[in-house]
Amino acid sequence: MSSMSSLCRAQLNARFCSRTLATHAPSTSPPPVLNYTNTKTFKPIIGTSILLNRSPILTRSPTPFERAYYSYQARIRRALHNPFPYDFYFKQGSILETRFNIEERKREKIAFGPTFGVEDELDREKAAANQAAAEQLAEQEGENEEMMPRVHPSDTARDTKSLDRKGRRNVWLLLQDHNDLWRFPQGNIVKGELLHQAAHRDMFAQCGERIDAWIVSRSPIGMYKPEPKLSAKGTPLPEEVSFFFKAHIMAGQVHPDKEKTKDFAWLTKQEIEPLVSKHYWEGVKDMLSDY
Amino acid sequence: MGPHGKARSLLRFGRPPPITKPLRINLRTKLPQPPVKIVTREFAPCRLEDHYHTTLQEDVMYMTYIHELGPRPPPRDIRLKYDPENPYSKYRHNPQVGGSQMGRKPPPPSSPETVTRLEAIQIHTMAKDALQNRSSLLGVIMALRALTGETSQGGGQHAVRGVEIIRGKKAVGGWIRPGAPVGAKVTLKGQSMYDFLGTLIEFVLPRLREFDGVMLPPPSANVRTPSAVSGVVSFGLSPTAMGFFPQIEVNMDAYPRLYGFHLHFITNATGVGAQDRARALVSGFQIPFVRNANL
Repeated sequence: MSSMSSLCRAQLNARFCSRTLATHAPSTSPPPVLNYTNTKTFKPIIGTSILLNRSPILTRSPTPFERAYYSYQARIRRALHNPFPYDFYFKQGSILETRFNIEERKREKIAFGPTFGVEDELDREKAAANQAAAEQLAEQEGENEEMMPRVHPSDTARDTKSLDRKGRRNVWLLLQDHNDLWRFPQGNIVKGELLHQAAHRDMFAQCGERIDAWIVSRSPIGMYKPEPKLSAKGTPLPEEVSFFFKAHIMAGQVHPDKEKTKDFAWLTKQEIEPLVSKHYWEGVKDMLSDY
Repeated sequence: MGPHGKARSLLRFGRPPPITKPLRINLRTKLPQPPVKIVTREFAPCRLEDHYHTTLQEDVMYMTYIHELGPRPPPRDIRLKYDPENPYSKYRHNPQVGGSQMGRKPPPPSSPETVTRLEAIQIHTMAKDALQNRSSLLGVIMALRALTGETSQGGGQHAVRGVEIIRGKKAVGGWIRPGAPVGAKVTLKGQSMYDFLGTLIEFVLPRLREFDGVMLPPPSANVRTPSAVSGVVSFGLSPTAMGFFPQIEVNMDAYPRLYGFHLHFITNATGVGAQDRARALVSGFQIPFVRNANL
């Protein structure tokens, strides 16, 4: 399954190569696998992991090429559009029409240069009066309100706990356990429980009840097998398998259990790579969106 | 970087090149014709399209993924009803044994190409009074043009049809005649499709009082009908809804009346369960669906 999602992404990257934000790590050879002499006597231990995602809340910033392209296309469009039916949309001589005309002149000047268009035939006093009326109307409608900045204070403060950080990117929840190991929220399966039910229970057990989150699919999106471990006697321990589920957070904030978890962070794909072990990264990187 | 170390603006353009040779005059329009075909494409980033690529496509893929082991076996060779070699039955209509295969085709195997995506939105209105008075279609056409901004071959794109007139196909006594203009439709694709969808989900649907969501069919509904396997989600909106579009609301007095309309969300989903997959996609664009509570 994870191979399919990576295929899909590979295709997307091919289509929007200018958009992709991924850093393609050179693929490394898989770590050596221990030879189990009596593998059949062990049943693998199955667990679930949750990729708790906050999707982008801001639009992407266009690249310089995209900006130039859009600007060029908008200019062609403005030059070729059908005549605008003024009399259908505005009463003759209304303030709305005056304001529209003033704005339209401004937009034309931006598109075609300051020398474009006929000079206003009105005398200066009347033009000033029109301008004042349009400004007053804009003020009444509350149009001059300041827009919120695209950079959130949590970005400047480097607060990785805030859900408002990195608004243009997908961010994912990572937990740090008391061995200082960063990983995605994970849990085990109780006997008689289905995989997706376990994922749902584990998500709230790890992240606290104060989140509004949902798991996207019943089937897992990927799988990770940690490196095989040996017991103190030198015999191999049963294999562990973790099935990954994608979830979205809609509201709230995670409050992880202090006893099990030391810290948490909302991180982008690029920020996750240096925090986790290489083996873990190779297992999960294709499940994380490049955007 | 420019010669003085100052970055050149990407959004402004220099003086257009001087025209040395006069342009050819188009015989029909009597207007100068540029030597190349000018086509306009996307002119602004599209928020909902980005939402599809950053979030929705992945989620829809995970939700609708069906795991298959290896390639599918070839379809069973179903024999024909009459022997085509037999001279007596040689030119007969020769259907397959086993009846209609409509609605039995399985969906294509899950792959990056078959992830459900929105291909077009069609808006369709029927004005019944146009049967008596053709000019009453003018209001419909003007309203659809204001809603979508589409014109025939707009922006030099030959496939853009603009507002099209719908004519009757059959003769139904007291209702419709063949060839009689009765309505209008617009097919939206690409950027204008996402712009319309954005207006619908942000300005119109939240302001509809009696609208809880699009009613889902009962569980007992037939899943082999053409509509259930063609990957199209359709629903209608009342004339009140048209009044909530900002394009119409700004000068509602200019229209003789408001019109109800049908919306068809056309996706690339095909095969068994295609409509369900299309609904999963469309609900990702915040169009609500509800079950009938009386069932």
